[in-house]
Amino acid sequence: MRSPQFSSFVILIVLLVVFAVADGNFLSPLNISNMMAFLPELGIIALGMTLLLTAGEFDLSVGAVFGLAPVVVMLLVQNAGVDIGVALLAGLLLCIAIGAINGVIVTKIGISSFLVTLSMLLIVRGAALYITQGFPLKSWDQPGFFVTLLAGSFNVGAFRFYTSLWWFIGLSLFAVYVLRYAKLGNWISAIGSNRNAAVARGVPADAVKVWLFILTSVLAGLAGMISAFRISAASPVAGTGYELEVIAMVVVGGTALTGGRGTILGTIVGALMLRAIRNGIVLVGVPGLAYNIFVGVIILAMLILHALLQKSAARSW
Amino acid sequence: MQEVLRLQNLQKSFGSVRALKNASLTLREGEVVALLGDNGAGKSTLIKAISGVFPIDRGDIYVRGEKVSIRTTREAMDLGIETIHQDTSLAPDLSIARNLFLGREPVNLKWLGVFAPLDLAKLRDAASALLKRVGISKKLDADALVSTLSGGERQSIAISRAMQFAAKVIILDEPTNNLGVEETHGVLRFVKEMRAAGHSVLLITHNIHHVFEVADRIIVMRRGEIVAEQTVADTDLLSVESLITGADLSALMKRAQ
Repeated sequence: MRSPQFSSFVILIVLLVVFAVADGNFLSPLNISNMMAFLPELGIIALGMTLLLTAGEFDLSVGAVFGLAPVVVMLLVQNAGVDIGVALLAGLLLCIAIGAINGVIVTKIGISSFLVTLSMLLIVRGAALYITQGFPLKSWDQPGFFVTLLAGSFNVGAFRFYTSLWWFIGLSLFAVYVLRYAKLGNWISAIGSNRNAAVARGVPADAVKVWLFILTSVLAGLAGMISAFRISAASPVAGTGYELEVIAMVVVGGTALTGGRGTILGTIVGALMLRAIRNGIVLVGVPGLAYNIFVGVIILAMLILHALLQKSAARSW
Repeated sequence: MQEVLRLQNLQKSFGSVRALKNASLTLREGEVVALLGDNGAGKSTLIKAISGVFPIDRGDIYVRGEKVSIRTTREAMDLGIETIHQDTSLAPDLSIARNLFLGREPVNLKWLGVFAPLDLAKLRDAASALLKRVGISKKLDADALVSTLSGGERQSIAISRAMQFAAKVIILDEPTNNLGVEETHGVLRFVKEMRAAGHSVLLITHNIHHVFEVADRIIVMRRGEIVAEQTVADTDLLSVESLITGADLSALMKRAQ
């Protein structure tokens, strides 16, 4: 009951009730469909970030990768006449390369992930701006396999959902499985909890971290493409600030910023919560520009709650 | 007694610092050898070399008479050498059961590699059985997080893990540091049990009293070299202290009298 994901869940319910009471449209099919369209895009990145944070590292370059990946894909298609499938593959390889560079510098040279991925954020965002000369590109919008795969939509009663929701659900199940039930999850938690202990037991800590950097980068690129396909535009500034929003989702859910303790369920709750706040605050009439004040206050309140719960748990032992 | 581990002329330098110069020692089956020395004497370098934290520059390592090379912690473990470092052996955010099997998790569907599901039932049962065998099951639940345990309980878990995997050689690095009196006695009792069970123990400690309580032999290091090797029965506290510091304390004492 005292677990952080449970307290986050309770707060989420409270928020939902408050917004629903304050504005009758909050729980309308249209609004829920709206929230569910945005949710997977940040949520997918948050899944990778949860695993990475649990292993004791984080990635500030995800927002920039979110912007760069679709831009590169569209440039290849529109300017170089490359087939869309091949272009998507090239985008994927680019994300793998960015993640691998992050991971190798962090683990082999031993620079903190904060500094490495902050630099990577600038490099990747700068690259996106330079190759587009700052102009957004029209995205691929011809119906076909890839559009259906990434941004297809379907109706359930009055609700309209995107295929990205399936991606989010599928990847969430996979992440829950890995972190809680697989051998790899045991390693990830152990590395974040006490890297030396894990290494002393023969766990390949550096390799695991490099793969998690790659995974996070790939998920950020995937989310970027889903977003670009959905709105039929690839902007070089897309995803600006997402890195902090994603990290907020993860820590609000109860994953420790210092590593060792991660929860995918908590991250899903955190993603829902930040999405609901962003949406609900606008509905209840808070000026859009004041949005960040509320988000900041709620995140801070959640973190204080987690800290207090942990303290009281420690005392009861 | 049969020889289990033999080190011959091990050398290791870090830049211009020669941390280990020609260190040689032999560890036999079922004996507890204490490795003593002041800070910077080379004890840590020696045990890190044996446990695979870093490779040695020169020299030979023999396990049961066979020459081996140890380049990683994994290789050391596979040769039956388990090291319990001070404070760094367990992951506090993991349960006791998960810590006991860290790096050697029992899994189903082994072909899935790192994605293979943990055999949670087996993990729990084996952990409970182990805790019972080492006599701490009454207090500890296999699912309890290590962060909720006391220092002595953590050392007991780390030691029992080493015993469980039938390690030939168990290296204990300052096992009684930061422990209370009761807990210290518990750990020393463990050391005796390990010897009784046929394990060989290399004990690194600053506390010479503990050495006299559990060790069979004493090896003293100074400035990267092994300067003395004696059986506990043939020596006393004062002469061991003299060997560690390099000053002849017993002569000083006599002169003072």
